[in-house]
Amino acid sequence: MTGRFTRALAFAAVAFALAACGHDGHASAGTPRVGVEVPLLTSPFWQAYENALAPSARAAGIDLLAPGNANGDTAKYLTDVRNFFTAGVDGLVLSPTDTAASVTVLDEAAQMKIPVVTVDVAPDAGTVFMVVRADNRAYGTKACGFIAKHVPAGKSVVVIEGDLTSINGRERTQAFSECMLQVPHVGVLEVPAQWDALKAASGLEALLAAHRDVGGIYLEAGGVYLAPTISVLRRHGLLFPAGDPRHVVIVSNDGIPQELAAIRSGDIDATVSQPADLYAKYGMMYIKAALAGKTFTPGATTHGSRIVRLPQGMLEDELPAPLVTRANVNDPKLWGNANS
Amino acid sequence: MTRFGFIRELGLLPALVVIVLAGALINNKFLTPINVVNVLANTSALALLVLGETLVLIAGKFDLSLESIVGLAPAMGLMLVLPVAARGWGIDLPVAVGLVAMLALGALVGAFNGALVVRLRLNAFIVTLAMLIILRGLLLGMTHGETLFEVPDAYLFLGAATVAGLPVSVWLTALCYVAAALFLRYHRFGRALYAIGGNAQAARAAGIRVGRVTIGAYVVAGLLAAVAGLIMCGRVGAVAANQGNGWIFNVFAAAVIGGVSLDGGKGTMFGALTGALLLNVVDNLLTLAQVETFWIQAIYGGIILLALMFSRLTNRAEQV
Repeated sequence: MTGRFTRALAFAAVAFALAACGHDGHASAGTPRVGVEVPLLTSPFWQAYENALAPSARAAGIDLLAPGNANGDTAKYLTDVRNFFTAGVDGLVLSPTDTAASVTVLDEAAQMKIPVVTVDVAPDAGTVFMVVRADNRAYGTKACGFIAKHVPAGKSVVVIEGDLTSINGRERTQAFSECMLQVPHVGVLEVPAQWDALKAASGLEALLAAHRDVGGIYLEAGGVYLAPTISVLRRHGLLFPAGDPRHVVIVSNDGIPQELAAIRSGDIDATVSQPADLYAKYGMMYIKAALAGKTFTPGATTHGSRIVRLPQGMLEDELPAPLVTRANVNDPKLWGNANS
Repeated sequence: MTRFGFIRELGLLPALVVIVLAGALINNKFLTPINVVNVLANTSALALLVLGETLVLIAGKFDLSLESIVGLAPAMGLMLVLPVAARGWGIDLPVAVGLVAMLALGALVGAFNGALVVRLRLNAFIVTLAMLIILRGLLLGMTHGETLFEVPDAYLFLGAATVAGLPVSVWLTALCYVAAALFLRYHRFGRALYAIGGNAQAARAAGIRVGRVTIGAYVVAGLLAAVAGLIMCGRVGAVAANQGNGWIFNVFAAAVIGGVSLDGGKGTMFGALTGALLLNVVDNLLTLAQVETFWIQAIYGGIILLALMFSRLTNRAEQV
């Protein structure tokens, strides 16, 4: 009895799944079909990127397949990309979860003559038409520069780090630490939070209890760390608006609307705005250019960035990532303002 | 049996004492009242999850889906009360209804898991693994990956408010542990859990309603996971779409190093609590000691291994 019920249920489930797969629309002739893979969707930054994809594709005249989500898993990333091959894409816009593991699928794409643009990550090797990326080392350096200028001597600074197994977490941490070595009057304390809000809260709380001299905090990802940081400071009676002598200088990273609101209210001082919308826009623009047979050379671009040749041979368009402070927080060109 | 159980209960305590003494020597801020309160507050959410998992483990089953309830329950509770502009559903239900719905969701998922395992006789590991993935996917779909920032004060109470110098979450966790320990020792349902985990056939023959008790354990575990999620929400001041991601590993680690058997029938509340405390004490100590980030995980794992070996030497009870 139970067995028959289970079998019927399983049959219904499979039938439903197959029917759902059948909705794969076909491209109208002429517009190129492009597949996009995002590394994860649980950060406001990647969410904003994903939101910007469809309008960017429409503007560039591209038929966009439903984006794949690797969910932080390299194996899932590789499977998704190979599924795009099977679906017969003309081009790919990829954000690899891992700089090394992506090389195999890049080689496969090159054999099939499918051009690839990577976004946010420069693979270690392989054929890539263009890397669209902001300089993550510059994020760490900019944050350090702001903190060096605004945190008084003799204080210490807490850095809430990203996952050090990801290139972006690693580069921000390294650039920030190297730069802070040049600022000997401010000590650095580390919280290895691995993009996890609760780890950020408990680590920061422990350091605040032990070090009464914390004068600054750098959040490597505002999307995840902003809420726990504000909440911990408030709980310990340490949240004072900018301008108050007891204010803790906070520099964040991402440029989400909530960070911009926190800058306006004086809770935090600055953030590095990652260009989520520009990632989508230029990702689509470059894949379209690749399919049209255009080529690019190193040098300044017409959209305010620079194309450089990376050591591994590929070209990278380094998009500007502005430091947002009270002075320019209302700039309508910031993606965080367009969103709200 | 009771004498044996008592020795198991002390299991991790000597190791915990040694680590705390060593910590006090390494860092003079470690034993300050404020840091001790921080460690307790940070342990509360994990400890409630471990409590629920321990009940299910004692009955000889698994529940992996708890880590997804931790994110889904508070997110749903929030979206029911938040306006569309704050990424809610715009239903604008009263806050109290949202809180009740959140707890109900945890209990319902537990009941569903329990029913699949008990009535359909499906493998608990696989069922709750599937549930883990489904619920995590629901959370991602509901929130579109976005963090819910606008949290009403009532949702922050458990994680952020303090009563008589201690966070509410710590009082609540302590209360739950005392209640669960008494329940396991003196209530017939509690004793039935051990009997079922030890030998389900024998328990059934002895007149214990095996299915009902097992489902009950799942319901309590799901409910506690929802409460743990609410505590996390209060501590962080928001619910991220990855809340609870990967936590089930810590939950099992705490339960097992606390002497709870994966084969069922064995384990105590005191052991489970010392397991959860040990993980958080070590984590806190490593942060205070500012161990280099690239080495922190290796050292964390090493200390836990040493603690296990130490507790094996200080009491003869075999670890299972």
